[in-house]
Order: sequence, then C-alpha cells, then structure tokens
Amino acid sequence: MQDAQDHGGETACGGETQACGGETLGSMLAARGVGRRSLLKFAIAMASSLALPPGIAPLMAANLAKAKRRSVIWLSCQECTGCLETLLRSASPTIDQLIFDFISLDYQETLMAAAGAAAEKTLRDAIAANKGEYLLAIDGSIPTKDSGVYSLTGGRSNLAMLKDIAADAKAILAVGTCAAFGGIPKAFPNPTGAVGVEDLVHDKPIVNIPGCPPVPEVLSGVLAYFISFGRLPDLDDRKRPLAYFGATIHDQCYRRAFYDQGKFAKSFDDEGARQGWCLFELGCKGPTTHNACASLKWNNGTSFPIQSGHGCIGCSEPDFWDAGSFYSSLAGGSATGWRNAGIAAAVGVAGGAAAALVARIKARDGDSHPDPEDKP
Amino acid sequence: MKSFNFFGDGGMVDALLVEVADLLKRLIETGEEGAIDLLGLPLSPHCLAELDQRLGAGEVDIRIDAFGLSQIRETGFPGVWRTRHVDQAGRVIASLIEVATAPQILRADAEDMKRGRQKLLDAAGAERNAGRSAA
Repeated sequence: MQDAQDHGGETACGGETQACGGETLGSMLAARGVGRRSLLKFAIAMASSLALPPGIAPLMAANLAKAKRRSVIWLSCQECTGCLETLLRSASPTIDQLIFDFISLDYQETLMAAAGAAAEKTLRDAIAANKGEYLLAIDGSIPTKDSGVYSLTGGRSNLAMLKDIAADAKAILAVGTCAAFGGIPKAFPNPTGAVGVEDLVHDKPIVNIPGCPPVPEVLSGVLAYFISFGRLPDLDDRKRPLAYFGATIHDQCYRRAFYDQGKFAKSFDDEGARQGWCLFELGCKGPTTHNACASLKWNNGTSFPIQSGHGCIGCSEPDFWDAGSFYSSLAGGSATGWRNAGIAAAVGVAGGAAAALVARIKARDGDSHPDPEDKP
Repeated sequence: MKSFNFFGDGGMVDALLVEVADLLKRLIETGEEGAIDLLGLPLSPHCLAELDQRLGAGEVDIRIDAFGLSQIRETGFPGVWRTRHVDQAGRVIASLIEVATAPQILRADAEDMKRGRQKLLDAAGAERNAGRSAA
C-alpha cells in the first residue's frame, strides 16, 4: 500500500513537483473559475481510479496546483485514429477531461491547425523548448521493413522520427495496442514489419496503454499520476499500469458468478444469453485479458462489451488478432449456435466447390449439352 | 441488468464497520484522518445499501456543486461521513467513507480565500466609486 510519504518527495523536473515554464495549474484554473474543490475532486477520482489510498488525494491536488503544464508531443504512426477518437470524444465533459488543461499538446498532426512546414517547425520548437522534459505519446505501430518506408510524415519515416524524438523525451506513452505491441498492422503476415514502441526504444521509461481502442480514463490516470508525482505509476511485466491492468476482465466481470456456477450461454439468442449468463463458451477472452473495461466501462461508465452481450475479444493483449476466432472458446471449442452456422457454411462452400468441379469436368470433356432434367 | 449478491453481505459489511471503528479510534487518539474507497471494493448494490443502512444518517447533509454534484452526509456516527462524488455526466467517480472532523473538500482553500478576499475588496471599491459618482 502506498501512502503520502511515498509520493511526497518525488519530482518531475527536480525540486518540487513541477513542470517547466509558465503559470501554475492552480492559478490557471482559478482564472477560469475552477476552484481548489474541483481540483481536489479530480484528485479524489484519480486516486480511486489508480487504486491509491484516498488519503493521498489532498497531496495529489496540492502537487497539481503547484505544477505547470507539461508539454506532450504526440506522434501518429501506422494507425486508424481510433485511439485519438476515443480519447477526445465524450457525450459530455467529464472531470477526467480536466487533464487536457494540465498538458500542452504541442504537436498532434490530426488536431493541430498548422500543416506542412509550419507543423514541422512547431515540432522542432516544442522539442527545443522542452528538451528532456516532454512526454512523447505514440499511437500506431512502427513499420520497420525496408527502412520503414511504409509510413512517412513529411517525407520522414515513423521509424526515424520515433528515434529522434524519443531521444529527448522524459518518458513515452504507447497509446493503444498497435503502439504497445504492434497490434493489427503486426498481424500475420505483417507485410510492413510492424512493431511496438518497446521493440525499438530501450533507454527511456515506457508505459503501454493497450486496447483497441484504450480506455480513455487510463490515459487520464497515468498523466495525472505523472504530473502529480513526477514519475510513472507502477507497471506490470508488459509495462502496463498495474492499477488498470493488474486484474483480468474475468476477475472483475459481473457475470463471473455464472461462470463459477457453470451457467453458460450456448448461443447469442438462447435462454442463457437472455438470462445474462457467462459468455465463455461463445469465445469470451476475458479470462486471459488484462484491462479495466469491466470496472471503468465505456461511454461515461455506461457499459462494456460483455454487459452489452458480446464476449471480450482480448484487444489489449499482444497478438490478439492472430489468437484464433473471437468466437472460439478458450477451452478449445465453439458454442452450438456458431458450430452449426460454421457447419452450414462449410457444407455450402463444399457444395459450391463440388458443383464447380463437376462443371469444369463437363466443360473439359466437351459435355456442354444442357441436362434435360434441368429446369429453367 | 439483474443484480445479484456475489460476495455475500454480512461478512463484508461487518468487516468494513470494524475498519471504520479502527479509523475512528485513530482520529480520536491522534487526529489522523482516514478514508475507505468503496469503488475499489467488490461490493454489490445490495451490499452497499446494507452498509448505508447500518451507518445511518446524522445531522449534516451537504451538496457541493464543483464539476458535478457531490453529496456529503454525516452518518449516525459522529466523525464518520459518506461521500459520493458525481461528475457532470452523472457518473459516480468516487464513493468514500471518510473519517474526519469534517471532510477536506468542505474546507475553504487558502489560495481560494486570498483570491476571494481580493475580489471582495475590489467589489467594495467599485461600490464606493459608484456611490461617489451618484453623489
């Protein structure tokens, strides 16, 4: 169990917890009419989300009030922009979004107004002004085959940009499964030689925040922790924040009791599914997937895939796309409904192939006469 | 969605009440405050309801409007508070049992007070100036 003493002496840029340059977050928020109670409430929520003891929230709030905005440079590599979408979109503003007041997003190609040479200058200026102190966030995998020519920005490969920009970063946040583990671009046959950040950068602190897309509150929590205490939260062996990835979906699932009782849905529309029974036999990957979906949920805490009736597909684990069908049980089989559908499909394919083969044989043998039994 | 009693109720609620009693002892003897984060515990809605029922209600019930509503209610045990923070989207972001003479979030912050005092003086100056102009 961590306590206030564990965190009190930690620093971001040396000395007191701080960032570099500009007014403090406390005065900046006060000028906008956001008082310390809101900041304390944010800290209470973040402490709860990070599984820190509640007593640490006042210290966290005090550190945040003294801190200054932290420069963040965000590189988008081989990606679909889904990670950025999920982090920015919300049905209504939530307290988690206060975090966007705590960072200065100095470079993000999708969001920034500047383009072309002006954007490149912005990047150079941000690096020069915050050398050694900026956070580097990356979404998307990095193609390495043929010198990384398969993904370029301004004529430079993602591979070259990552190596350059990582060199002066304080820490790196690999946002999404692609940046963390290579993700879908790395799936077989991986034509671009895609890899995750940790395969290329070995001399900087890295936090992996996997998920396709990742849970936005996890990024808020990691940023809040880093700005408050000047260091990264505790990580697991895959460099994921333990507070969010320490347990499996299965361990936190509200349907777990049905698993323990041996009550499983056998198809997506049977009585078991209607009763909300466990989706294990329908291919749910919850038992082998570490993520916070079951506790934090999605869309402002509304639901998560299992609550909506579909099994977990394991999107925050390495190589999830190559791990077999989403509908194959981890125990090795498929549930009845899908097995029957699969058999029907296989019969259909086989029937079609047989008919095509017969037609080709007939054509080869010159038997092109219509069959008298054929009906129009 | 059906709710069910996954962990059983009696044991968990009893354990929490014993922990609250320990925190209260520490507050009385040393002045050190404590809190229990209920969101971090695997409590069913049934279990939470029983906990709240056994903690009871005291004399104080406060609502705070800061980035969404917060409700702070004194329990039937002086020094023990039930705090529930909700964000602007209506999502519960923290649910605590706090053991303190008063929860920290109720106390005015020193920096906020300094800024408030300056605003007060500015407002008083504006009133005086307005009075002189009218005369």
